[in-house]
Amino acid sequence: MADPYKARAPFAPWDRRTLPGLFDVEESARRVGNFKWAEMKLFEALGGWVATVPELDVKMRLGTHCYKHAWHAELWHKRLPELREMNPDRLTVAANDAMTRFVEAMTEPEAADQTIEKLVGVYRVFIPRFIAAYTYHLNGTSEITDAPTIRTLKLILQDEFEDWRDGEMMIQSLIETPEEVARAAAHQQKLETIMIEAGGLAGPGTLGSQ
Amino acid sequence: MRKFFPVEELARDERFNKITMKDRQNDPRSVFAADGEGDSKRANFRLTPARRDASDGARGLMHGIFVGEIQALEGAGRTCWDFETETEAPFALKLDMARQCWDEARHVEISVKLSDWMGTEIGQYAENTVLFEAACSTDPVMRLAGVNRALEGLAIDVFTTMKEFGDLAGDPYLEFCEDWMLADEVTHVKMGSDWLRKMTEKDPERRNKALEFQSVVDKLFSYGGTRSDSSESPIGLARRFRELAGFTDEEVESIADVSLQALNERKLAVAKMLGAADSLTAAAAGE
Repeated sequence: MADPYKARAPFAPWDRRTLPGLFDVEESARRVGNFKWAEMKLFEALGGWVATVPELDVKMRLGTHCYKHAWHAELWHKRLPELREMNPDRLTVAANDAMTRFVEAMTEPEAADQTIEKLVGVYRVFIPRFIAAYTYHLNGTSEITDAPTIRTLKLILQDEFEDWRDGEMMIQSLIETPEEVARAAAHQQKLETIMIEAGGLAGPGTLGSQ
Repeated sequence: MRKFFPVEELARDERFNKITMKDRQNDPRSVFAADGEGDSKRANFRLTPARRDASDGARGLMHGIFVGEIQALEGAGRTCWDFETETEAPFALKLDMARQCWDEARHVEISVKLSDWMGTEIGQYAENTVLFEAACSTDPVMRLAGVNRALEGLAIDVFTTMKEFGDLAGDPYLEFCEDWMLADEVTHVKMGSDWLRKMTEKDPERRNKALEFQSVVDKLFSYGGTRSDSSESPIGLARRFRELAGFTDEEVESIADVSLQALNERKLAVAKMLGAADSLTAAAAGE
């Protein structure tokens, strides 16, 4: 056995984590507050839509996904006080007015024959934005000082990827005609336009500046 | 999407047939225990494999569970959407409702597979939408009382009966699944009990209103005596699991009384209906 008193490096040779990160505590908290707000709006919408979709398989998936996003909101809610925000509601806000308008437009479809629009808004526009914003945060934040956020991001991203795949497969199975392709594309375009204005989940700079 | 979704507009595919509580009460096939005579009027009506119509009864009940789970999923989902966070419903309450959505979605999955296992097709029996009606209140506390305490409480009784049925019928598949769903339902009822107490802590009037609403729903969900301590009811009252879910002894007794009352009212109505039918038959025969 090796001498237990022999000096060893504090970081093993394979541990390449570094200290520097793109966000200070304040910026990290601001972004986390935006994330929580977006996750809340998403789980509320998914829950509300369950009663409005006639397709049984979609109904069940929306119910399942509703909980996942509520859990993400809860994880962010718990992270905020650890980032020195003792009143989590203060930072639980939309990144800007355009983001509020995006959510309003996304949650507008209600009729039973608008399942395509509902799913496109969530799985072709909103969830890809979650994946992008979370990936940017994961890759940019300090691997050591912000490790708790990284752990949360990894747990959440796993869900987001799975839900995105579920949603995309549901959309593909529902779209059967060129008219339905056009409907899906038109709705996506409408929502993407507002999202561009919003700049992403955390506003302009969600993915850094080019 | 608007706030507060009307029960008439619940979205269903072409296989489903919706009916009202009145339709169900007027269905002659639900007549039982009027005078203790004949197959449909015997004193012991509890759902057991010994019943001659056990197979169809169990399939019908499983289909009822299936559509009930869909409505419970829809109701919990609407509570996530219908109320503003914090000003109308606490964040933690909405998280609980979202969790319930996932649980109910799993229950729909389970009951679809169990129905298939039992040889039933989706839509083979009608769907009574009264469950969702209890989830339409504009006060979240009333929803908790009506759905989580009354409706999910009924689910505890139903799953206990079905679990016992699976055990007696030698169907471990059914027993296994019902046991898992029962665990979730106890959690949902406890959620309702805890939130009801918490949200009405300083508002006894609101609490009383909610409990009154729960009592009305409890009686309604007793389906004219379908659920009670009496062996004349197909579904028993699962006292032990109700205790685990946060019901006090007094509350369980109250539900037992309401259920028995509903059973007796139903028996009286059936007796009157049969009496009227006999008179009609006699009149038609010229007697």
